[in-house]
Amino acid sequence: MKFLCLDCDAPMKLHSTEGPDEGSLAVTFRCPECGFRVAMLTNPFETQMVRSLGVKVGGRAQEPAPFEHLRSMMANPRADAFEGEAGGETAAGPGCPFAAVVNDGAAAPPETVPWTSEAEARIERIPSFIRPMARRAIERFAADHGYATIDETVMNEARGAFGM
Amino acid sequence: MKRYRDIAGDGGSNIVGQVEAQLGKLRQRLASVGAVVAVVSGKGGVGKSTLAANLACCLALDGSRVGVLDADLNGPTQAKVLGVRGRRLVVTDEGVEPPRGALGVKVMSMDLLLAADATPLTWDAPVQDEAHTWRGTVEANAIREFLADTNWGTLDALVLDLPPGTDRLLTIASLVPTLGIVIVTIPSDVSHLVVRKSITVAAQTKSPVLGLVENMAGLFPGPDAAKLAADGGIPYLGSVPFDRELAVSADRGEPLVATAPERESARALQLIARAIRAALAPRAV
Ligand SMILES: Nc1ncnc2c1ncn2[C@@H]1O[C@H](COP(=O)(O)OP(=O)(O)OP(=O)(O)O)[C@@H](O)[C@H]1O
Ligand SMILES: [Mg+2]
Ligand SMILES: [Zn+2]
Repeated sequence: MKFLCLDCDAPMKLHSTEGPDEGSLAVTFRCPECGFRVAMLTNPFETQMVRSLGVKVGGRAQEPAPFEHLRSMMANPRADAFEGEAGGETAAGPGCPFAAVVNDGAAAPPETVPWTSEAEARIERIPSFIRPMARRAIERFAADHGYATIDETVMNEARGAFGM
Repeated sequence: MKRYRDIAGDGGSNIVGQVEAQLGKLRQRLASVGAVVAVVSGKGGVGKSTLAANLACCLALDGSRVGVLDADLNGPTQAKVLGVRGRRLVVTDEGVEPPRGALGVKVMSMDLLLAADATPLTWDAPVQDEAHTWRGTVEANAIREFLADTNWGTLDALVLDLPPGTDRLLTIASLVPTLGIVIVTIPSDVSHLVVRKSITVAAQTKSPVLGLVENMAGLFPGPDAAKLAADGGIPYLGSVPFDRELAVSADRGEPLVATAPERESARALQLIARAIRAALAPRAV
């Protein structure tokens, strides 16, 4: 993917990257001539596509660590697979020391508010690839508004607030 | 207005450069490996893993420096068969050190990275329901990393144990064009039917096909493997008899060729290993 500034007919340059946040990367490009900026926001599918290739949007500052891709992608790695790393949660996966150099990976889910079964059933009807984003957005909305559970009323309110 | 191909580069991520760097690292690692040999079959359960481990040990017995990469990510068995299950991996500046199993053979396997015996390999994905969509790409990258990031050191041969089917063969042949391919069948019409297709797939890669091995000979009467090889236009490397000791020793983590080299099956394996060595001779194993 490349970005072209139409006014200047100049290729835009990568300016900054952020995220992933809820599976989304924000990649900002800037026109070197007029300074105009655009942000490309990826959906979780697009983020995953980049992850699967073992490359980093925004380029690499450092050499990838050995097995970096493998270790950052495994959903259930052996905690004590590597000598010199303590066993337990932090040894691998999202908490693994290599995860830091992987410029992506799902962000830790925020504290969650429980869902009623009706609300749960309703969110299940959302297409699966945007469901995690929708779910977290609603959870965040509920937490921000001090709701103890997510029911259909909260969902309706959240939808109104997001314009969903 | 400029078009896509008028613009050089991708604005700063240098994705192409990153992929080239990955492949450069792989080439560099394999520069000190004499030959890479893949053991494949379109058919499951025909003894690919057993042969891969025992052939690696045969080469080691003849004085070669040998490694085994378990390229079966979902059904890894080499750590078990070569006796390195549960070993912990050490990371150095040179990469990840492969544990040494039977006869000093260096082993790398997904088994060493999986949490528990009953844990299947699953990849992280935004939605698990869709994880299969990414599996091919993720696993191709995992294989590349196993090849490139393991500190194999100087090897005469690196033997790859592939999962059933030919998908993984195509992935690996694209990463390692000089790969030597060994195809395995058992003496049944059903196996020959599938393996005939595997021979076609192997021949379509740019990699040399070293030949066909028949395994579990004598278990049941069946079609002629030498004829299957001849029909497919590939060399016939030999036949390994059905021998329950092969299975028993694999389960013990001590390949039979190391513990009972005088058995008929072990001798057959040694002959096949020598045929493979001869086929690789131009590349000096
Ligand atoms: N020649 C033989 N005689 C007796 N048993 C054998 C022989 N070859 C393999 N076996 C046994 O048959 C079983 C299947 O062998 P193996 O796991 O090597 O097959 P595979 O082709 O690698 O299977 P997969 O397709 O699942 O990877 C194992 O228990 C193994 O010990
Ligand atoms: Mg196998
Ligand atoms: Zn501009």
